[in-house]
Amino acid sequence: MLEIVILGRGGQGAQTAGNQLAQAYFAEGRFVQTFATYGGARRGTPVTSSIRVDETSIRLRCNIDNATALLCFDESLLDRDFLRLANSKTLIVVNSAKEKEAFAGVGAYRIFPVDGRAIARRNDMGKVVNSALLGAFAAALEHPGINTICDVIERSAPARKQQNIAACREAYQLFQTADQGV
Amino acid sequence: MNAMSQTQGLQLLNGNHAVALGVMLARPDVVPLYPITPQTPIFEKLIDLSEKGQLVTELLTPESEHSAMASAIAASATGVRVFTATSSQGLLLMHELLHYAAGARTPIVLFNVNRTPAAPWGFWPDQIDSLSQRDTGWIQLYSETPQESLDSVIQAFRIAEQVKLPVMINHDAFYVSHAMEPVAVPTQDQVDSFLPPYRPEMYLSPETGCSISAPLDQKSWNLSRRQMAQAMAGVGDLVGSVGQDWGRLTGRGYGPIEQYRTEGAELVFVTMGSMCGTVREAVDALRGDGIRAGLLKIRLFRPLPEAALRAALAHVPCAIVLDRNYSPGMGGVLHQELKSALFGMSGPPRLHGLLAGVGGVSVSCATLRKLAAEYLLAAPSPDPVWVE
Repeated sequence: MLEIVILGRGGQGAQTAGNQLAQAYFAEGRFVQTFATYGGARRGTPVTSSIRVDETSIRLRCNIDNATALLCFDESLLDRDFLRLANSKTLIVVNSAKEKEAFAGVGAYRIFPVDGRAIARRNDMGKVVNSALLGAFAAALEHPGINTICDVIERSAPARKQQNIAACREAYQLFQTADQGV
Repeated sequence: MNAMSQTQGLQLLNGNHAVALGVMLARPDVVPLYPITPQTPIFEKLIDLSEKGQLVTELLTPESEHSAMASAIAASATGVRVFTATSSQGLLLMHELLHYAAGARTPIVLFNVNRTPAAPWGFWPDQIDSLSQRDTGWIQLYSETPQESLDSVIQAFRIAEQVKLPVMINHDAFYVSHAMEPVAVPTQDQVDSFLPPYRPEMYLSPETGCSISAPLDQKSWNLSRRQMAQAMAGVGDLVGSVGQDWGRLTGRGYGPIEQYRTEGAELVFVTMGSMCGTVREAVDALRGDGIRAGLLKIRLFRPLPEAALRAALAHVPCAIVLDRNYSPGMGGVLHQELKSALFGMSGPPRLHGLLAGVGGVSVSCATLRKLAAEYLLAAPSPDPVWVE
């Protein structure tokens, strides 16, 4: 079973990204379960979206304690609490303009920064980074397929569908060509 | 069979949206609703379905949950099908009228999303909101999954309308209400063949000029409770037969309880709601480790199916009750109910009451396996234990 946690701040689109990722896996024939929890229920407070993916129906109904992969929308949230969900094999993608080496001090983790903000800005998405991060995350995970994700965005993005898709594809390609040693 | 062929025909829905689709298919005539986290997606989806013309009903949005329940009672007394939904504080605000609805024998179906009551403020899955309403005269069902929530809401109308008692169905906040997963949505034809239109023999009408629930003398009031007791006595069997009918129609059968791998069990977990899913995983893992574990899932909490519970635990040496609720000064409500249900039984299981998941704390498969090892041979205790 694949267990994924997305962490962001309320209003950043972490919950939307979680739903879109689950829809993409489901479109590819996988069983999925995704649920969000939010503490303050207001903009700016941490929001997590949890996603389980499997070949059979998912029965577990508890938090993910040991994630296969983590996606962090804001590097200020990449703290000890969040990293408690990770082990040395967990794939961690973080929204940051910093180089990979800048995260060496965080610990023995597989952390891959993606400058989601720059990609979003280049694609006329302002500060809305969820589609860009989703593209990079799919490239790092090597699934679900980028076309499947873009189909989901096409169906579900409330506005700027083409800009969202362009940001998603650019991030996907950038991550692949950067050869980050995933 | 690969995953693709198994997921074909299913829709990706969260628990609350699954409930809303079930309500739409049940064709309620009146739906009074007031929003509250984490129930609001039910409210929003029903409004959306109504605006699109897919749900044809009289949707009322009064100023509070108290008024929503008052509207539900009044509407139901006129002989029409009524649905409402709420959570936590909203259910507690309805409290006075929950007694009224049951006493007036109005077969309302209410969906409650289990959430911690204030204070302190929180949004977390905890069943004390509905368990503290156990004496109001409502039938109570607890659901494990979005699929079960959809299926149960349709079955609930048939149960309620047959015995003239209101039904409250409950699912846990977030783990079910906001968990999006594949759900099979029945067709309107299937639901119509299962759930006939509601045609009560008595109802309020300007043409007949009768009144309902007018003041009575002591003896008559006493009789009203005896009649409720009589109706309650048939609910366990009815929940079973309605669940079997649903199973014949959809392939998904239900009963008042469910036993998962309890054959020859040396240890059985007893619980309700979303926790059952994680327990299934723990049971499989424990069986793999050579511990003969099982799950006794309680779906019908009121009336408590005491005879079925006693039969299910007849030859079980150890039972661990997992309570996602806390009654201060007493312990877990389910533990308390189990102690009462097993009273006088010869060779009862060693019963352990564990407060697991109170306030929405996550209870993992690893935690359950640890608890099984710890309590398998331990002496029973009447006192509850807090699980870390």
